Amino acid sequence: MTDISNPKTPNPKMSARNVNVYYGEKQAIQNVSIDVDTDNVTAFIGPSGCGKSTFLRTLNRMNDTVASARVTGEITLDGEDIYSSGMDVVQLRARVGMVFQKPNPFPKSIYDNIAYGPRIHGLASSKADLDQIVESSLRRAGLWDEVKDRLKDSGTALSGGQQQRLCIGRAIAVEPEVILMDEPCSALDPIATAKIEELIHALRGRYAIVIVTHNMQQAARVSQRTAFFHLGTLVEYGVTSEIFTNPRELRTKDYITGRYG
Amino acid sequence: MTAPVPSPQPDRAPTDWKGAAMQKRIAARYSAERRFRTLGLTAIVMSAGFLAYLLISMLHDGLAGFTRTEIAMRIDFPTAPIVLDPASLRSANADAALASVNWQSLTDQAAQENLGKDSIWLAPSAWVAVRDAVKHDPSVLQKVATLNLPASAELDLAAKSDGSDEAEAAYARLDKTGLVHRAVNWSFLTASDGTDPTQVGIWGAFKGSLLTMTVTLLLSFPIGVLAALYLEEYAPRNRWTDMIEVSINNLAAVPSIIFGLLGLAVFLNTLHLPRSAALVGGLTLALMTMPVIVIAGRNAIKAVPPSIRDAALGIGASPVQVVFHHVLPLALPGIMTGTIIGMARALGETAPLLMIGMRAFIASPPGGITDPATVLPVQIFLWSDEVSKGFVEKTSAAIIVLLAFLLGMNSIAIYLRNKFERRW
Amino acid sequence: MNAVSIFTLILGLGLIAWLSARAKAMRLASASSEAGPAAHRRPLLHSLPGFHGWYAALWVVAPAMLFMAVWANVMPALVTDRVLHDPAAATLPLDPMSRGAILSEARNVAQGGAQVAFDPRANALVEPYRAAQRLYSLGGAIVALMLAFAGGAYAFTRVRPDFRARNKVERVVMGALLTASLIAIITTVGIVASLLWESLRFFSFVNPFDFLFGTKWSPQSAALGYGSDNAFGAVPLFWGTIFIGAIIAMVVAIPLGLMSAVYLTQYAKPRARAWLKPILEVLAGVPTVVYGYFAALTIAPNMRDFAVMLGIPNASSESALAAGLVMGVMIIPFVSSMADDSIASVPQAMRDGSLAMGATTSETIRQVLVPAALPGVVGGVLLAVSRAIGETMIVVMAAGLAANLTLNPFASVTTVTTQIVQLLTGDQEFDSPKTLAAFALGLVLFVVTLLLNIVALRVVKRYREAYE
Repeated sequence: MTDISNPKTPNPKMSARNVNVYYGEKQAIQNVSIDVDTDNVTAFIGPSGCGKSTFLRTLNRMNDTVASARVTGEITLDGEDIYSSGMDVVQLRARVGMVFQKPNPFPKSIYDNIAYGPRIHGLASSKADLDQIVESSLRRAGLWDEVKDRLKDSGTALSGGQQQRLCIGRAIAVEPEVILMDEPCSALDPIATAKIEELIHALRGRYAIVIVTHNMQQAARVSQRTAFFHLGTLVEYGVTSEIFTNPRELRTKDYITGRYG
Repeated sequence: MTAPVPSPQPDRAPTDWKGAAMQKRIAARYSAERRFRTLGLTAIVMSAGFLAYLLISMLHDGLAGFTRTEIAMRIDFPTAPIVLDPASLRSANADAALASVNWQSLTDQAAQENLGKDSIWLAPSAWVAVRDAVKHDPSVLQKVATLNLPASAELDLAAKSDGSDEAEAAYARLDKTGLVHRAVNWSFLTASDGTDPTQVGIWGAFKGSLLTMTVTLLLSFPIGVLAALYLEEYAPRNRWTDMIEVSINNLAAVPSIIFGLLGLAVFLNTLHLPRSAALVGGLTLALMTMPVIVIAGRNAIKAVPPSIRDAALGIGASPVQVVFHHVLPLALPGIMTGTIIGMARALGETAPLLMIGMRAFIASPPGGITDPATVLPVQIFLWSDEVSKGFVEKTSAAIIVLLAFLLGMNSIAIYLRNKFERRW
Repeated sequence: MNAVSIFTLILGLGLIAWLSARAKAMRLASASSEAGPAAHRRPLLHSLPGFHGWYAALWVVAPAMLFMAVWANVMPALVTDRVLHDPAAATLPLDPMSRGAILSEARNVAQGGAQVAFDPRANALVEPYRAAQRLYSLGGAIVALMLAFAGGAYAFTRVRPDFRARNKVERVVMGALLTASLIAIITTVGIVASLLWESLRFFSFVNPFDFLFGTKWSPQSAALGYGSDNAFGAVPLFWGTIFIGAIIAMVVAIPLGLMSAVYLTQYAKPRARAWLKPILEVLAGVPTVVYGYFAALTIAPNMRDFAVMLGIPNASSESALAAGLVMGVMIIPFVSSMADDSIASVPQAMRDGSLAMGATTSETIRQVLVPAALPGVVGGVLLAVSRAIGETMIVVMAAGLAANLTLNPFASVTTVTTQIVQLLTGDQEFDSPKTLAAFALGLVLFVVTLLLNIVALRVVKRYREAYE
């Protein structure tokens, strides 16, 4: 077991302690302890298959949808154990939103895509209220000006980058406290990627953001804190600038300098 | 490129997840979830329940069809007015010798002696059983024998507490004397159609099904496999190939009765093949089954990875050798599974066979594929139309036999699929 | 000499040809490799000996069999011709009908179908018939065997090292494959041609407009000679078919099938799914005659009692409801498997996206999965309708014969397939509009199911493409 860096952050929104994840017999995550800071963007980096996405999915219990997955340890959101029986998974996922690797807008109109979350959670009291939420979410996602005249068009008719911003807008619409992003730019071209990165900057502070990426430049650009995962363990966690300039672990250094990965 | 800096927005108040209204809403959503889930389960349970209802009611009605009520009768052969030499029954003219005796009057007389006025409850065809008993063992002619003869359909129903008052009273009377009992009705499996429900059997229809299925298999299997091989391995992409594919896909969805019309118009009225024969039935069903085999065959062939073909071609095999040495053997289990499923469908098919006259009354099993024949499902259909109440259990019993066969065939198909299914 | 023994004989000759040609080729191969220099190991035989064997066997069997097939069709005419030239035939009546009857009776006796003919004139012809038959079948057999020998000899002389036997044999194999595929087209053409031909004859008696839009169906009265102008209005049949197959059956099958598929794909644990899915499939495997019997014997009387209890007039024991209900159950597995496929092909990302928003499983299913899978489900339902309206036995056994135009599900209606069976069973005179009407109904059924299938497959295909 690796001697990991201090998992603590000054103002944690979520914290994980001694988390293990198993898929059937196989252990995918080993003893990970980490805090997610409220005011910062946290990046999870590491070679593919290192468990960073798996760990991300334990933070809003998306692993529940995999029958063979089992999670041990403790993960809290504002001090509340999210795996306790008192935690409602539906509410948890409303509070901890998620954006996926490939844009996955529903085959509905742009409006209905954004309104989906507020509708199911009953967040809008009237049609005007809902319109308001849709507009503000689309504005925050930086998509409003591009789609305001065609809210009735299908969400799947947008370009890849627009679809991904739509998905971010969809997550924002339920006013989550944390947004988890699982390699949100891996399916996008550089221009669309730049827009998403700017969006992440703009959203920082308002939501705690965790982004999984295999692109180290991206991690360096968007995040304030970086965690390096390798073979299912958390190798190093710290302030991004330090991780990239002065890693304490040899494996981190090797990875960042492109020796493997 | 403009930065998507969000324009200032009025902040929404943070959602109060712990509030009473939200908790109530969540509870409502969860109960909707439970209701929906229960609805899904209900749908499945209803479907399965219907199947169970069907099977149980068939078993309930049909199991009795495999038994019959018999009346024990003493027949004093030596004093009976028949002239029959037991030795002649062991000679070649046994049938002629048997035919010379009036078994009916012999049986009637014995019934009068044994049962008195209750002799009416003996099956009208009981004399056949007497004759067969003598044929089977000529030595009974020299002694007083007790034979178990079939009771009439009405008494049989009474034995199952389903008869007329009169018959039930008679049954109670006979039961007290210990003359009646229930026995396995072996003749149900060996006899053919008839007019008396106590006498009918499924062997004739079953043999008709066997002959028909043989013709179907011999035609549809080779043609289906060859067509599948051609389409999957060799066919050039052109309009003809498209037409063949469209034809096959559509044929697989054409209602079966249309094949019956085709059989009637082409095989019977144009080619003048024999009516009601297993040959025509088999031909018609073969046309229906072939698309099923082609589609299953193509899927099985498609599942053989191209690397196998490349490997064989790479060592200099010709395209025909590649297919017959490598692809076909690997695809065969899949093709067999599809064939069995197609054959099971053909075995249960009724409508097209009605069109080509296989609904004839066939009292003796067909001798060959050109003899008039009927098949098991058509026999079921014919019996279901009979007014006599005794046919209800016979119909259900025939259904049990048919279902048992289909179940067997499908089990073999599933077994083959599981045993030979290969993941590449 | 009968056909079976000649058949066996020719196959036997084919086997001999196969063995001897193969042996000759093998001899050639070994001779050439011995003669050639050791360094020159390339086989001098172009094709493997087995292919030479197949080539020879094909030459023996194919021409002979072909001749036999042609001969079997030509022979009866030749035999009849010869019999007619026999002096015993001089007394035959000239009227073709009775003449034909006598001839066929004689033929039946000659072939052992009957012991003795009723007509003495036929009895007189039996011997000439037998003689003619013996003569021609013997002649045919001799020609067939000669062809077999000639073919074999020709092929045998061609066994040479450089002969491309493999290519020739493979060409024959390809021909066989192509022929097998063409059977599908021939069948389709056969269906269309026979339906069209008989329908056209029907429409020479009955105006197609009256047939398609008339509302009075009483072919019996037409057969009794009350005029066939207005007796063949098929609208009540079309309505009955739609009422039972596309309305009542679908009201049962769509909710049950769809919900079963939803439960199986989204809720059931793998173990439960492994049990429940085959149970649904068994429903599809039960023969329709069994469903029909069940509907007629068990469901229909209950339905009528129920209707009587409700006080509904005209409650029939052959109600549309009983037939439609049972047909719906039969269709459940069909709808369920189509829905299952459609739901399964909605990308997992869609489901994850909705769950990650905090939607419950049922919200995800109702608001994301089912709408996304809808085109596939609709396609499946169209296929199910096409199957239901073509279904025969359930309606023949459980629905009635009364051609009513009614909305009352407890009343009796009749369907296209029921009437086809009704019109064509029993002895048929082929020219009466009554029997020809069955083919016109068959044509309508064929066209409608074909269109439904084409539309459904196109919908499903476009839907699949959307997610690939």
